[in-house]
Amino acid sequence: MNQTPALHIEDLTVAFDSRPALWDVDLVVPEGVLMAVVGPNGAGKTTLVRAALDLIPRAAGSVRIFGESVARARGLTGYVPQRSSVDWDFPTTVQDVVMMGLYGRLGWLRRPGAAERLRTRQALEQIGIADLATRQISQLSGGQQQRTFLARALVQDARVYFMDEPFAAVDAITERAIVTLLQELRARGRTVVVVHHDLQSVPDYFDQVTLLNVEVIASGPTAEVYSEDNLRRTFGGRVAGIARLTEEALP
Amino acid sequence: MAILEALLIDLTLRVTDLQRLNAILGDPQTSALITGALVAFAAALPGTFLLLRKLAMTTDAISHTVLLGIVLAFLLLAALPGLEADLNSPWLILGAALAGVATVLLTGAIQRSGLVKEDAALGLVFPLLFAIAIILISRLTDDVHLDSDAVILGEIGVVWADARSHCLQDCDEVHITPDDPRAETGRRCTNCAELDIGPRDPAAEFEEYCVNCGRYTAAEAWRARLVSRAPTQVFWPRAITSMLLVALLNLAFILLFYKELKLGTFDPALAAALGLRPALLNTALMVLVSITAVAAFDAVGSVLVVAFFIIPPATAWLLSDRLAHILLLAPLGGVLASLTGYEFSRGNLLGIAQMRDLLLLLDKTIGLDGFIEWNTSISAAIVLMMFLFFLLAWVFSPRQGLLLSLLQHRARRQHFAEQLLLGHVHHHQGTAEAASELAQDRLHLHLGWTPRRTQRVLMRLRLRDLVASEDGALQLTARGERSVRRFMALRGAGGASPAGD
Repeated sequence: MNQTPALHIEDLTVAFDSRPALWDVDLVVPEGVLMAVVGPNGAGKTTLVRAALDLIPRAAGSVRIFGESVARARGLTGYVPQRSSVDWDFPTTVQDVVMMGLYGRLGWLRRPGAAERLRTRQALEQIGIADLATRQISQLSGGQQQRTFLARALVQDARVYFMDEPFAAVDAITERAIVTLLQELRARGRTVVVVHHDLQSVPDYFDQVTLLNVEVIASGPTAEVYSEDNLRRTFGGRVAGIARLTEEALP
Repeated sequence: MAILEALLIDLTLRVTDLQRLNAILGDPQTSALITGALVAFAAALPGTFLLLRKLAMTTDAISHTVLLGIVLAFLLLAALPGLEADLNSPWLILGAALAGVATVLLTGAIQRSGLVKEDAALGLVFPLLFAIAIILISRLTDDVHLDSDAVILGEIGVVWADARSHCLQDCDEVHITPDDPRAETGRRCTNCAELDIGPRDPAAEFEEYCVNCGRYTAAEAWRARLVSRAPTQVFWPRAITSMLLVALLNLAFILLFYKELKLGTFDPALAAALGLRPALLNTALMVLVSITAVAAFDAVGSVLVVAFFIIPPATAWLLSDRLAHILLLAPLGGVLASLTGYEFSRGNLLGIAQMRDLLLLLDKTIGLDGFIEWNTSISAAIVLMMFLFFLLAWVFSPRQGLLLSLLQHRARRQHFAEQLLLGHVHHHQGTAEAASELAQDRLHLHLGWTPRRTQRVLMRLRLRDLVASEDGALQLTARGERSVRRFMALRGAGGASPAGD
């Protein structure tokens, strides 16, 4: 495995006006791990992902992806935005949305061809939504929308993925599909950073976890850092049953 | 522009002769028709993306604020030495494009500031810029033909008047020198003014000079009878060239960047993450919208141009849920609406002959003098026609049409009524009270329906062989049994709630 971390964030601060959304964040994600980013509302989870991808300006700090600047590592990153960030009434089909994941690789001006259609087909089959290929996207259920986004991430064939709340409001089938996909990605040595909200499932699904509340409270292997104490410091004691949660999860 | 026109003339002359071409171009109606179709085509392409980005009203703002860009560019040109300020200068287009982009940026900045909510920012920016433009026009450009009425309303009927002449044959400039045989010689008094005397005064001195010496363009030479053959000329309306250019520009932009525009519209975050610069592309789109709005000024004005951007794509969206199809249908629909709208402006509504009689009747009954000379603003008529198309699409749309949903609603109601009746039969057949419950002539009393409705539902069920009657009492057929069971199973699974009320 590579010694260079998949993601290396140093001294990252992001502010909206002069209110910091992220404050002096240092974060290292080794290659090949599944990492959850957990924290209360307004903790800057989505901001962290967007700043890591250079989608919003940084007030300070640097982001390295496999030792490269974000702009140079575009081909190595995959991004699954929040499902609610797009308008699902857009006049297009599932396979079209999935193919959009290949646009970066295609570059400017080039049109998708037979190779891209084949790749799209494979991704749809892998996620188990091949039968929805020509479906208009407004007719999808929430879970189907999320799986469409995952298939789109899959065709990007990235080395490090950033997923923003993929588990938010999905059905059980989709949740299982996402978990299977995450495990497949890890088996292929890919790195995945997932913004996650379900504290219960963190120890089951993720090797590593970052507890975030504007600042990084703790980050590392789940077994080491996912403790009651750290959760309390992250959520400020506002989450009922934190003790029960960690007791159950961690033997 | 001139070169492009020459090329166009060359091309058109291959399919028609000169006389006919001049007749076509010189005819106000034909050139209005061509211009209208071009505006519709050019605007529908970027309009589709504006609609998808929920920026419909931004078009309205841009189509007004570009005026400020034009005025500022015009004043700047007038102030700079060595540059001629004229209303056809391409620099004005640049000014307009900058103003369009400025509108979008300014609106965004005000939105982000949180001083006012979303659309209010637009309402703040665009009247401001437009007001400045109007003040500048009325204060500073008294001697220029740029009045606010023309900008707001436009008149497609007069685009033919602003034409550029292109000479094809016998175009040589004529230079008359004093030794030319065509030179005419005259005499003039050299000291009359000086001595304040008349030419008849004996002290007057004379010299000979050439009366008609100088340079003549071919047309001037013909008018002065200096040449024996008239130059062959074509008068090409400028509006047609600029609209055609803009239409081609828009088409090229969308063909080249279709994929980038699609992703940038659907999911700008991913587009940015993939390095496809959605912000840059958005600016380019706004530049094109501004240019299109400016080019369409003369023809349709700044108010109605919004309709050209928005209504055809909105209509196309009702008819299809594929972006590529919408991009094809929208310009086609726009062109069709402008052709029929043009006819409508002359009293012909989609070739319906009664329209004329109707107008005549209106004229007689209400006494609208001259209403029968139904000759209205062409651009307004086109917009009405676009809206009519929109209504038709809404009613007949295969996706979310009014008709379709009414039919579906009706079908659901009918289906439910049928299942109700079948269920009733299923429930009571073979029981002791079957004879009274299932007697055909009493059925409606049990269901609480009108006899007519009961009969209609029964008839449909009979036609599909779901019920049969035995001794005046109803019975389910084998198919009827299956249908009931299927419906029950669905209800059990929570699938079919009584959707048809």
